[in-house]
Amino acid sequence: MKENKSIPKTGVWKKYFLFLFFTFSVGLLGAFAQTKVSGTVTDASKEPLPGVSVVVKGTTNGTITDIDGKYTINAQQSDVLEFSFLGMKNQSVTVGGRTTINVILEDDTHLLTETVVIGYGTAKKADLTGSIGSVTADVIMKQPALSPVQSVQGKLPGVSIISNDAPGSTPSIAIRGLGTALGGRDPLYVVDGFPVDDIRNISSSDILSMDILKDASSASIYGLRAANGVVLITTKKGREGAAKISVESYVGIKSILKKVKMANASQYIEYFNQNQDVLGAYHLAPASEQAYNTDWYDELIKTAITTNNVVSLSGGGKNVDYFVSYNFYDEGGILDGQNYQRSTIRNNNTYKFFNDRLKFSQNMNISFSNEDIKPYGAFNEAYRQSPLVPTKYANGRYGASFVNKTTGVVGYEGNTGDEIGKLNSIGNPLLTLDNANQRRKTLTIQGGIEGEFKLTDFLKVNSRFGATKYYSKDRQFTDVRNAWLNADPRRTDSEFDALKEANPSVTTYANNSLRLEDIETYRWVWEGFLTFNKKFDKHTIDAVAGLSREKIGVGDITTLKGYDVPAKSQYWNIGMASDAYTNEVSQYSYTPRTLASYFGRIQYNFDNKYYVTGTIRRDGSSTFREGGDYWATFPSFGLGWTISNEDFMSNVKFLDYLKLRGNWGKLGNQNVPINVSQILTNPGSSNNNYNYVFGSDQGLVFGSAFGTPAVPMSWEVTREWGLGTDFTLFDNRLSGNFDYYNKTNTNAILKVTPTLNSPYEDNFYAHGAKVRNSGIEAALAWSDKFGDGWTYEIGVNYSHNTNKVVSVVPTYDGATGGSLADGEITKRLQKGQPIYGWWMLEADGIWQNQAEIDDPNNAKKGSPKPGHIRYKDQNGDGEIDDRDKKFFGSYLPTYNYGIHLGLGYKNFDFSIDGYGVGGNKIYNGLKHGRIDGGENITYDTYKNRWRGEGTSNSNPGANRDSYASSYFLESGAFFRVNNITLGYTFNDLVFSGSRLRLYFTAQNPFIITGYSGFSPEISGYSTDPTISNGDPSGTAGIELAAYPSTRNFIFGVNLSF
Amino acid sequence: MKKIYIGILSILSLAFLSGCSDFLNPDSREKVDAGDSDEVYTPEMFINGTYGMFTDWDYAFSYLAITDMVSDNSDKGSSPGDPGGDKQLFDDLTYTSTAGSLESMWKRWYKTIGRATQAIEYTESYGLTDAAYKNRLIGEAKFLRALCYFYLVRGWGDIPIQDKDLSTRAPKEEVYAYIEQDLLDAIDVLPAKNEYASKDLGRATKGAAQGLLSKVYLYQSKWQQAYDYATTVANSGIYGLEADYGTVWRASTENGIESLFEIQARGESIAHGVQQYSQTQGARGETGWGWGFNTPSQNLLDAFNAAGDVVRRDATIIFRNSTLWDGRVVGATENPMYNYKAYSSANAGSDDTDKNIRMLRMAEVYLIQAEAANELGKTSEALTALNKVRTRVKLANVTTTNKDDLRKAIWNERRLELAMEHDRWADLIRTGQAAEAMAKAGKTFVVGKHELFPIPNKQILEVPTITQNPGW
Repeated sequence: MKENKSIPKTGVWKKYFLFLFFTFSVGLLGAFAQTKVSGTVTDASKEPLPGVSVVVKGTTNGTITDIDGKYTINAQQSDVLEFSFLGMKNQSVTVGGRTTINVILEDDTHLLTETVVIGYGTAKKADLTGSIGSVTADVIMKQPALSPVQSVQGKLPGVSIISNDAPGSTPSIAIRGLGTALGGRDPLYVVDGFPVDDIRNISSSDILSMDILKDASSASIYGLRAANGVVLITTKKGREGAAKISVESYVGIKSILKKVKMANASQYIEYFNQNQDVLGAYHLAPASEQAYNTDWYDELIKTAITTNNVVSLSGGGKNVDYFVSYNFYDEGGILDGQNYQRSTIRNNNTYKFFNDRLKFSQNMNISFSNEDIKPYGAFNEAYRQSPLVPTKYANGRYGASFVNKTTGVVGYEGNTGDEIGKLNSIGNPLLTLDNANQRRKTLTIQGGIEGEFKLTDFLKVNSRFGATKYYSKDRQFTDVRNAWLNADPRRTDSEFDALKEANPSVTTYANNSLRLEDIETYRWVWEGFLTFNKKFDKHTIDAVAGLSREKIGVGDITTLKGYDVPAKSQYWNIGMASDAYTNEVSQYSYTPRTLASYFGRIQYNFDNKYYVTGTIRRDGSSTFREGGDYWATFPSFGLGWTISNEDFMSNVKFLDYLKLRGNWGKLGNQNVPINVSQILTNPGSSNNNYNYVFGSDQGLVFGSAFGTPAVPMSWEVTREWGLGTDFTLFDNRLSGNFDYYNKTNTNAILKVTPTLNSPYEDNFYAHGAKVRNSGIEAALAWSDKFGDGWTYEIGVNYSHNTNKVVSVVPTYDGATGGSLADGEITKRLQKGQPIYGWWMLEADGIWQNQAEIDDPNNAKKGSPKPGHIRYKDQNGDGEIDDRDKKFFGSYLPTYNYGIHLGLGYKNFDFSIDGYGVGGNKIYNGLKHGRIDGGENITYDTYKNRWRGEGTSNSNPGANRDSYASSYFLESGAFFRVNNITLGYTFNDLVFSGSRLRLYFTAQNPFIITGYSGFSPEISGYSTDPTISNGDPSGTAGIELAAYPSTRNFIFGVNLSF
Repeated sequence: MKKIYIGILSILSLAFLSGCSDFLNPDSREKVDAGDSDEVYTPEMFINGTYGMFTDWDYAFSYLAITDMVSDNSDKGSSPGDPGGDKQLFDDLTYTSTAGSLESMWKRWYKTIGRATQAIEYTESYGLTDAAYKNRLIGEAKFLRALCYFYLVRGWGDIPIQDKDLSTRAPKEEVYAYIEQDLLDAIDVLPAKNEYASKDLGRATKGAAQGLLSKVYLYQSKWQQAYDYATTVANSGIYGLEADYGTVWRASTENGIESLFEIQARGESIAHGVQQYSQTQGARGETGWGWGFNTPSQNLLDAFNAAGDVVRRDATIIFRNSTLWDGRVVGATENPMYNYKAYSSANAGSDDTDKNIRMLRMAEVYLIQAEAANELGKTSEALTALNKVRTRVKLANVTTTNKDDLRKAIWNERRLELAMEHDRWADLIRTGQAAEAMAKAGKTFVVGKHELFPIPNKQILEVPTITQNPGW
């Protein structure tokens, strides 16, 4: 481990932090009888520098400067004092008999000193030829979230994160664009060298740094899984020195960020009746005669509390460094009863032998989570359910959409002969919540041990073994009786009992059902590698070569389902299920996946000016064993030129650092779906077209057919090239980088719906498309100080990405997706468009009168009525059908940007962070879907609707059709203030060296968006772990039952001593 | 000390290096590997699966629309308020490229072709040692494939040949050549009808392939070949006409002397036939047993009456308030006429009935022989063949020797003999009578457009390089 790279950039308090750190890191004073030397260390602007290490060269005798930059050290006349401070240039001063030595340290560029993790090693950022985005612990900690990835939204150009505010959820992340539809879309996560699937088991406060390998030349060291980028997470370790205790604690209050105003009772009635006018059906009575005016969102959405508590202990000695932490995270959801709790225990130790020549590092992380899951469908129901329906009736039953059609009063009551019907088929969201009783508990044990042995001063060998054991227990209890009774308030228990008796063993009339699902998985990885590092004159060579073996997915899943267990949760045992019903049992073992890999990398530079990096990885994956095509090779190279180190640049004063980079590489994705060549048969059944009849006696014979072709699958291979530059200017106050990339998935896998004229009947997977992402990334940061103790920093980053399907196998073109609940489709994969771009009819005004509709020159879809949306006849054939559907861009943002402002004054720190995206479109599926006309609408829909000829030519009337069209497609652009934080740090409170920081953070306090729904950030996340996150052919970008964005106010305390 | 560590690490590395191929072959656990499976799929099962396609529901509804309802022989039927999806559009000749019936049949035939091709490949690679058996299976599949291509090419003209290029339409000559080749191959290897074991009755035979090939030649006006193959079938000694026309579509004559090829069905449990074929066309109303679609038209009735063709009229049309041959009283049904040929005595309106659908029968072969002979100037042979068909239904012999008059007589004979047997529309198009016939039936036939069906819109959306037929 090289120098701690988590050292923050600037800001006064950070220096204090360092000061504290070094206080414990550096050994105690030696015991020689020597002269006392003292002095003050300042920076160029005469600001005292606390925490500067002052060491007598060649000894362990050292100290650090105090809060005022002062130090005192015993030294002999001939001694040389070395002053070092991260981010500053080192200075050596000979004592020579002086007793006061004041030193001014000069700033050093961060780029030169910052260390990043690059996979099987670390490198100075200045030596990179690729593009790596790094964030440090303080950035992650500042924006608390379950997933550290969500915390860095908007911090790294080229890393697009769609956050999800549901408890226990993971954000969807795309590094340099989305290149695959069905192959794994997630980046590879590597924690302390060990690949993992999920990082929710890791406490954010245990993370020292997160490095994201964005480009091919960096990522190709992880070859077969690197196509979506690689996220390297390094957890904290102890450091030699006295024990240090750190306590972090915060509490947050979470509420919905953007509420949509729904129509109230009278508005709903007006809208409803206008629709009924068109249909020629009954009317609702005026609001004054109705009993209820329910605001469903008020009833549904709660304010939630999130708490997080961390205690950690770290330190180290000559032989052992240790880090131990405990974290309890408790996140409430805005739905009643929704909750996610997680405890983690981490222990990272390093054991050192033979003067550090041999080291063993051991990591262990145990994480328990306990999740109460509630269906997001409740959000959808709250949107659609009529405000006239009560939450509960007087008899205690949940409200349902019954209406007395005779009197027009909403309710189930009426006189004899009154017709009781329903307003709509929407459920009661509160009943949905009440009846959903799902709890998932997981236990993840993750650990590894690594041995490192220095063979010579330039050659070391590492060997490491890591494993993860995961247990998940999911319990779902469904109160069938309760659901049945609440479907109609007139139903009685005795009716249910009668049905139950009449239908024994029919599970529809069981009192309840209990479903248990146990999953157990195990994975391990072993890696060994040799590292060579030597400098010959002006040549520097770093090289690594190694091999790895990995086995994933060893385990099984067991599902049990029983009926009629006792009602109290303490008795929810399958063993107590009623014998009257058949228990359902399913168990199978997973087929493990194995990976074997060889890798090597050489980094060479000449005189810190010219850089060459070459990487090669050869991977074998058991995924492809059916085809026998196990192996593939993924090479890459990168070139760099540090222009600022050239002699001819020495006169350019304003330029501190300038580097040009170029790279090319090939990456793979082995996480792809595999065709199971299915043979269809259905012996004994008549109703199929496999079987046939032959013979004089007309005997039934069985036949079979291939459902899917056995199209062999292989890696998705991505080729990428890129150019970039890093620079710092004006005495390192301005730093930035600029990157261009061009990344093509050369054989993206598609789920192919066979064309009508193809031989195949069922959908199958095939390599069928080239998907290109190309774009730019830019980041600029300025930091400076002024006046008396003020510091400030401004950072902006911007990335632009163009996603395009460059080619598709002709007969695979046109796969559709984005299916809405009512069967309308909204997306299509086609050459020249973004992957699964929006594809639908174009709204073209409103039919104003019947004469317009009857005009044979006007093309129409179905049989419209005045007030319906008109659709544009794109091909002018006088008909509106699929041929008139048009592409309307994509749900994928074309650009996103982040800004950061920081201000420090003495012990105060203040910062604002913002994040925005643009160029994308969101389909408002909530607004779209009206099944039976009795659903509620938003206030805006009510207010802006067409009410008769000439009233609106853009918004449909109360009676409308339900085709997917551009009317429901809205700009998904938004700018959100992510984070406003104000903190104050007390130093040396009670103990010298202690540090206490109090802070207040507002997460997502404001959003600016034109989108009319709840959240323009729709990741397509599902609580069902088998549904992958953000499938572009699914509901990503469609708001149907998405979890709304939340606002979170946090107050926190960090204490360390 | 150092050496020990290096040694340990090297050994560890070597241990992992060796046995790599085993390492990458973890045991399959979720799915039984093919080698470990007890299940054996024989080539014959895949051939059976290809036949099975012909029992699909599409043949009970969509097929009726694009063969009969669209023609002058039948109407949509059923209640006026039940359009049967797009069926009324066919009856009115106003269908478009989005018509579901066209899409269904287009797809059904291509999927059947797919199954046939896969069955052939599977059979070839399976390792059957009995060459004759193996060849027979391949011959059966080729026959079925040819049949589907024939339906496609006569409906749409130029069409993609599936195993060549899915994205471009091959000229129809090329498609016909493909069909001919499949049938010639099939003729070479298929047993004659009387060479099959009793349990295999209903499989494609040499005679079926020859008969179909003669029809394929007829559609290309290759008179000599059409004549030759029809004559070969006629002279094979295997086939002839049933004595009573009324029994031709009854269970009693299934796979009988007149039958070259038919879709097989059983009505006993487990019943399996063309799903709902008898039901969709069954008489509708309180006394009925079906949905009442595809009803014989007044135009057809008039044609029977004009020809004085009582026997075939009464065997083709169920009349309201009549009594059927099996004693069933029809009663006051909703429509005046229904398709008698779809009627199953034993199972009436069940989902799956015992109704075998006659795809190709000897009477048609005689008519092909007659038509080809007439075109070749073999007038007396033409008259002989034609009159065989007429004699059975107690109609007087045709005696004209005028080529044009005889041609017209044969065409009309085809109409009456094969009425409601899903041949009329294609025959009208083939013979160029469609425009005139449609005008008489009160429908607007656009010359240059309606000769071909529109390629289904969905197919063009999926594969934009496939062009649309003229006028659509």
